[in-house]
Amino acid sequence: MNDEDIAQLLNSAGPREKPPVEVERIVRARLRAEWLAAVAEKRRDRRRQTTLALAAGILAAAIGLWLVAPQLGESAKPVATVTLASGEVRVSSGWSFGWRDIVPGQSLAVGQSLKTGTSGRGALTLPGGVSARLDQDTLLNITGSDNLTLERGALYVDAGPSASPVSRLDVITPSGSVRHVGTQYEVRLMRTGVRLRVREGRVEWRARSGGIEQSASGEQLTIAGDGTVERQAMPLYGESWDWIAAVAPGIEIEGLPLARFLSWVGRELGREIAYATPAAASDVSGIVVHGSIAGLTPAQALYAVLATTSLRAVLVDGRIVVGSEGAASRPAD
Amino acid sequence: MADDKQLIRRLLAGDERAFDTFFNAYFARVYRFALPRLNGDVEAAQDVVLSTLTKAMRRLSEFRGDSALFTWICQICRHEVVDHIRARRRSRHVVLIDDQPELRQAIDSIEAPEEYDLVENYGRAETGRLVRVVLDRLPSSYGDALEWKYIEGESVEVIGERLGIGTTAAQSLLARARIAFREALEKVFGAEAADIASSLGA
Repeated sequence: MNDEDIAQLLNSAGPREKPPVEVERIVRARLRAEWLAAVAEKRRDRRRQTTLALAAGILAAAIGLWLVAPQLGESAKPVATVTLASGEVRVSSGWSFGWRDIVPGQSLAVGQSLKTGTSGRGALTLPGGVSARLDQDTLLNITGSDNLTLERGALYVDAGPSASPVSRLDVITPSGSVRHVGTQYEVRLMRTGVRLRVREGRVEWRARSGGIEQSASGEQLTIAGDGTVERQAMPLYGESWDWIAAVAPGIEIEGLPLARFLSWVGRELGREIAYATPAAASDVSGIVVHGSIAGLTPAQALYAVLATTSLRAVLVDGRIVVGSEGAASRPAD
Repeated sequence: MADDKQLIRRLLAGDERAFDTFFNAYFARVYRFALPRLNGDVEAAQDVVLSTLTKAMRRLSEFRGDSALFTWICQICRHEVVDHIRARRRSRHVVLIDDQPELRQAIDSIEAPEEYDLVENYGRAETGRLVRVVLDRLPSSYGDALEWKYIEGESVEVIGERLGIGTTAAQSLLARARIAFREALEKVFGAEAADIASSLGA
């Protein structure tokens, strides 16, 4: 069989089909996470065997087993809770087929994946009270107790006010990972790379190639496929952030000081709380809220709660200005 | 086989480059194996390929080397396809000609029944697909090199660059690839490349 025969045959048969790039990217990321977990598990087993071999007696063996028991159960231990699911939000285990609808309150463990449809959004609570929210058409893997792998779409992370203790969380993307330093941020996979928007606090971008970039509140980083990083200023509020408020986990307001409720609304909307007059600030500090805001977005909750007081609010640029009735009008939704 | 075992050892040891080698060598081939068996459903193929490769990864220490690693992975993939179809009853199970016992044996072991005249029994499209299946059953660098050389018209230098080897090594690899391809074709089709090409209308 000469060159000509082979060329003729292969050209007649045609080229082999190439898998879609997106499928390759998804399978590679998920398989890599599974492989890393398997390698880690093997190492733990090896460590456990060593521990047992070194144990001098039943007591030592018992102690050894007690020490490793939490690690052995790590993959099945819940590491996240579903707080909100709107539209199509489904969960899958890495080991079985099929996607199932998720329900609020459901626990999620390492190895599970979440995906939202074109009209779905979801919110999770992670260790330390960190809130993670999935935009439409997003695919997210829970790859560890302190890391999530974003394969498609966008994820918003709210680690709580900057002053509060911070739980470590890495969001892994195909080209690098994001680590927060007490913050609110959004990471979105684009066709051309990754877009990172920091709303509060600071984050670190760790490129797969090794470089580290810091980013602070009000900054947007666009990381191109070749690793080039472009920085630009961006507003902390507005239409592009609306999806986050739409899946904000509600809070219990019964018995909550109004100031704390306003602080929550402000963080969810990316706006500072300001007072039209010193008297308004004084009024707010003396009010305790009652009732429930279940099912309301933060903006809707703001109207509903203030309507029960003599106070009103108006949105002015990056602020929510609270004043006495008549001094401030109902804010635009 | 020795290469397979070495790759497995490195994978089990957590070698990152071994992961890339494994993925680059098997992902596309397993995808092409699964896709037609799932009636061309890309989403289902993605699930099945992920599940197959995950299970293969988890069971690597059980691989005895009695067959090629790809053949072993394909066996896992067959089970995953069946499980997937059972789980989603709406999917249609596609039985390919290469799943028929006599051909499957020929492809898996490259030992075809002598009297089996494939070209005569099956149409042009199926024959063309089977040629591509044969390419996938060769070591991945052989299949890639043959395709780059004879379909894409790449030079030996470019092929060497793509494979991360020198030009001389690429030439040598191409020579081995041609021999392996010819032998595999003869075992599966019981015919020579020129005859198969002419049955394809070339």
